[in-house]
Amino acid sequence: MAAVNIVRSAVSGLLRKSTTIKTPVVCRLSTVALQQKFHTVKTIANLYNNNHIQNGVHRASRQYATGPVHKVTQQDIADRVMKVIKAYDKLTSVQLSLESHFIQDLGLDSLDHVEVIMAMEDEFGFEIPDGDAERLLRPKDIVQYICDKEDVFE
Amino acid sequence: MAARQAIQVGTKTVRPVLSLNEAEARSRVLSLYKAWYRQIPYIVKDYDIPKSEEQCRAKLKELFLKNKDVKDVRVIDLLVIKGQMELRETVNIWKQKGHVMVYFKPTEEPKPKDFLSKFFSGQE
Repeated sequence: MAAVNIVRSAVSGLLRKSTTIKTPVVCRLSTVALQQKFHTVKTIANLYNNNHIQNGVHRASRQYATGPVHKVTQQDIADRVMKVIKAYDKLTSVQLSLESHFIQDLGLDSLDHVEVIMAMEDEFGFEIPDGDAERLLRPKDIVQYICDKEDVFE
Repeated sequence: MAARQAIQVGTKTVRPVLSLNEAEARSRVLSLYKAWYRQIPYIVKDYDIPKSEEQCRAKLKELFLKNKDVKDVRVIDLLVIKGQMELRETVNIWKQKGHVMVYFKPTEEPKPKDFLSKFFSGQE
């Protein structure tokens, strides 16, 4: 809306308005001059295109998804959890399943368990309180907990 | 009968410092660990210490594991309180780079252990 007005004002400054109907001769601009002016107008219009300014910060203009929206499933969350656990440096070369116990099967101590829970907090972006964290001793429990918090259910 | 009386003589009930039982003390320790762990990237940035985040985390783990065999709940509470005081001083930048580097013992030389090193350093 505002862009159209700016374009209109930019155009009116560059293109000459045709003279009144009385005279039979209408002033026309040559093709080259017209193309140059059109190009300038388009550049001015693009420069002041306000679709991509959010709160005064310039960003790429927002595109809305036009296909089937991806629904988060429990398997997605399980994959993310296993990826984070594998990335933990004490557990890179150990075979893990969803059922393996952190302390008894994988040989971590309680401080390592706290670090794993903190890695989960960083990955999923929400705080896990200590009372809940000490009960999450298998990857399966973590997946179940995050699905409860994120409202992902089968 | 005598054994039970002997055991009762060996223990006594005392007033707690902060936590009432082992579970509460454990949760205090773990939250202190979490707070320090989250603060480490900011410590490395603010104090500009010549250690990486990995080394800081290893040192944090080492200092916590040094006290892992403490069983008395009051001692655990006091260690946690001291840890919280250190954390507060570090977070508010009341310390300086040297105070933070003390944890890494930069100028300590390892004590000689085998015969030849002891001989050279003058200890028998």
